[in-house]
Amino acid sequence: MRLTVSVWLRSPLFRSYLRGFFLLWILVKGTNAFLAGVVGLPPLGFRPGTEVIACAIELLALGAFIQRDAEDILLANLGLPLWTALAPLLPVHFALSLLLSVFA
Amino acid sequence: MTAPLLAADSIDCRRGGREVLRAAYVDAVPGAVTALVGRSGAGKTTLFEILVGRRHPDAGQVRWDGAPVPRPSLAGLARRGLFYHPDRSWLAAGLTAADHFALAVPGGRDAWEPVAESLGVTAWLERRVGVLSGGELRLTELALGVALRPRVALLDEPFRGLEPLHRERVAGALRALAAGNAAVLYADHDVVSVLRTADRLFSLEAGQTRLVSEFRERPVHEWYHGWPR
Repeated sequence: MRLTVSVWLRSPLFRSYLRGFFLLWILVKGTNAFLAGVVGLPPLGFRPGTEVIACAIELLALGAFIQRDAEDILLANLGLPLWTALAPLLPVHFALSLLLSVFA
Repeated sequence: MTAPLLAADSIDCRRGGREVLRAAYVDAVPGAVTALVGRSGAGKTTLFEILVGRRHPDAGQVRWDGAPVPRPSLAGLARRGLFYHPDRSWLAAGLTAADHFALAVPGGRDAWEPVAESLGVTAWLERRVGVLSGGELRLTELALGVALRPRVALLDEPFRGLEPLHRERVAGALRALAAGNAAVLYADHDVVSVLRTADRLFSLEAGQTRLVSEFRERPVHEWYHGWPR
């Protein structure tokens, strides 16, 4: 493998994906909170099934943007498949949602 | 001539009901620059995409060092030493050229700066890739590929959009890669670059490839019939 995990996580490219992912998390969380409010559920509550779906949507959207710009080729040339590169964002989603539900 | 390191063998591929490739074969041999020429739409890019697993053929196989690669992927092949340069830009627009080199070549600036210098990209190292001209961007992409020290370099139209001085540098870089025993395979229309750079030539016509022996001694219209006499 050409690129180590530690180099990848400290890279400006991963930080830019983290920023994009955070914006997508806000967007999806806002939509989810609105829909939860409509059906009478706590808007910012942590519901594991919903979180899995929300996280998948966020990752797929970010992956689509990366593929549109052909940056998946950059990652692949460094020996890093796209979904492996984005895997560290998975716990970020759950940590953010859990923190929000605790403080809400 | 040594055995091919990367090869696509007996490739059939249909796109949109049209037969693009029919029993096509191409390979990359260590220590040599191999050119793949053919008209626009002949299937050069399709064949390269099949080689790196970005497109699945209807039949045929990709081989690495003689062994079939059942499910080729670019990342998997890159870990074996492949560098792939497609015919569109693929760097991250928000990062500088230096950021890309630092990501690709760990070990500090000393590890990659000589390559950047040799290809003349130092003038825009600290500029964001998104504001570079087409030629600067292409040269940066190729310099990054050279800095990766690939065993196989697969390049789709590496000379496109480059000014003469930059073309010379890229040709020199391809020759230097081959001199270091890398296998270089590139697709192009440009006869001048092929004559100056290539050791071997494959021609792609009507979906079929042909190794053109002694191509330097033959008129270009014999390389492929689409070329005017």
